[in-house]
Amino acid sequence: MSKKGAVEMPFAWLFALIVGAFILFLAIFAVVKIMQNENVAIDASTAKEIGVLLNPLETGFEAAKTTSLILPRETRIYNRCAKDETFGRQTIRLSQKSFNKWSDTDVNVGFSNKYLFSENYTEGKKFFIFSKPFEFPFKIADVIYITSANDKYCFENSPTDISDELSNLNQENIFVKDCPNNSIRVCFSGNCDIKVNLASKYVDKGNSRMYFNDNTLMYAAIFSDSDTYECQLKRLMQRGEELTSLYIEKSNIIAAKGCSSNLGNDLSTLSSRFNEIDSSVNLNSAVVSTVQNIQSENSASNCKLW
Amino acid sequence: MKIARLIANYGDKMKNKKNGQLKIQQMSFMLIAVTLFFALVGMFFLTLQVSKIKESAKTLEEKNALLLVTKLANSPEFSCGAAFGSEKTNCVDSDKIMALKGDIKKYGNFWGVSNIQIRKLYPLSNNTKECDLSNYPDCNLIKIQDKEITSEYSNFISLCRKESSNGEVYDKCEVAQLTVSYGK
Repeated sequence: MSKKGAVEMPFAWLFALIVGAFILFLAIFAVVKIMQNENVAIDASTAKEIGVLLNPLETGFEAAKTTSLILPRETRIYNRCAKDETFGRQTIRLSQKSFNKWSDTDVNVGFSNKYLFSENYTEGKKFFIFSKPFEFPFKIADVIYITSANDKYCFENSPTDISDELSNLNQENIFVKDCPNNSIRVCFSGNCDIKVNLASKYVDKGNSRMYFNDNTLMYAAIFSDSDTYECQLKRLMQRGEELTSLYIEKSNIIAAKGCSSNLGNDLSTLSSRFNEIDSSVNLNSAVVSTVQNIQSENSASNCKLW
Repeated sequence: MKIARLIANYGDKMKNKKNGQLKIQQMSFMLIAVTLFFALVGMFFLTLQVSKIKESAKTLEEKNALLLVTKLANSPEFSCGAAFGSEKTNCVDSDKIMALKGDIKKYGNFWGVSNIQIRKLYPLSNNTKECDLSNYPDCNLIKIQDKEITSEYSNFISLCRKESSNGEVYDKCEVAQLTVSYGK
């Protein structure tokens, strides 16, 4: 009897142990999955929230605006850009540090009306967001630059207009004098981390050269990586092309009221120029002179379109 | 006697076996009950999570509309720029808006809201007359995007256009309300 009982008891225990272990495994698996999903949901909603909070950075006629963003955890903001569709798409993906591990989120939050210039990803808890209007020749968009408080930028010996503008921003991680030792040096002559050539209008960063037209694009090239810069520039040109169509249509509407701007043909040329700009190398003197001509014609007109 | 003992032993054996089977059955039922309980708790938890995500998506849409309405007038597709003298904030170029209305399909979900409309507030009018190119500017409502909505936010703007009288072209600005709504 005792022998049989000894066989029966271990079987019951074995059965309970296996089933118990299985239930425990299922419970742990479910908790891990729920935590992962929760992280994904938090990352996605924070990314969307960042995008929504960028709305107030739309400038009126002010030169530039800055604000800071503090997140509760160490965060990586991934900046992605797509050139497809009419206006392309800006996507933000967030990865937050939890238990010393970066969350693996594949949820991209997209916006069509935002142009973010930053490195491939920006890491930190505190971020600075600074925006500036891009006009070419009319206002195309407000471009937004995102930098981490961990990255300090040094603009020592920069031209007066640039150092004045940057000083007025009062952004903690941008220095125009007394730069910290570990800062990223931006120079307008000589050799340093980011070299800006104002005469030939290009920025050399790493192995890439990015061409610009004005200060707005110059900052964009300084604060972002080459792929992001080229993609966002194309998106800006796509929006410029659509805005040109709006101005052509507007010129027809006001011409019917006897107010002719005579810019119709020039705007058609500008539209095709925007379409041709696939890379910053195409921001050449021909394009810039077309833009400048249209700007001066519009300024001189009695029926200004913008 | 021997037969009786054998029968008794057999009876005990069967009783033990039945007891064992009963225990396993009890355990199985218990396990099924525990699994069902956890499945139900899990489903309840998932429903809560989904509703929380939906709620936060709605809150974000609401926030987007609220923040957008204060700044939309300054975006390039709406703003007057320097077309009516000096640059002004919260000034919308209605000639440009009419051009935008005709081209709105391209803009789709560009601003991430369902509905954008501009209503002239002054001069007062009892009738609502929606603007199109045939009746513009003798109308008081410009519907730029028009989808089903749940809630809306608005902001006051000046709505400016070029106007002509006796061959003279002049700028005319009126008080209007820009409304942004988010959908279901």
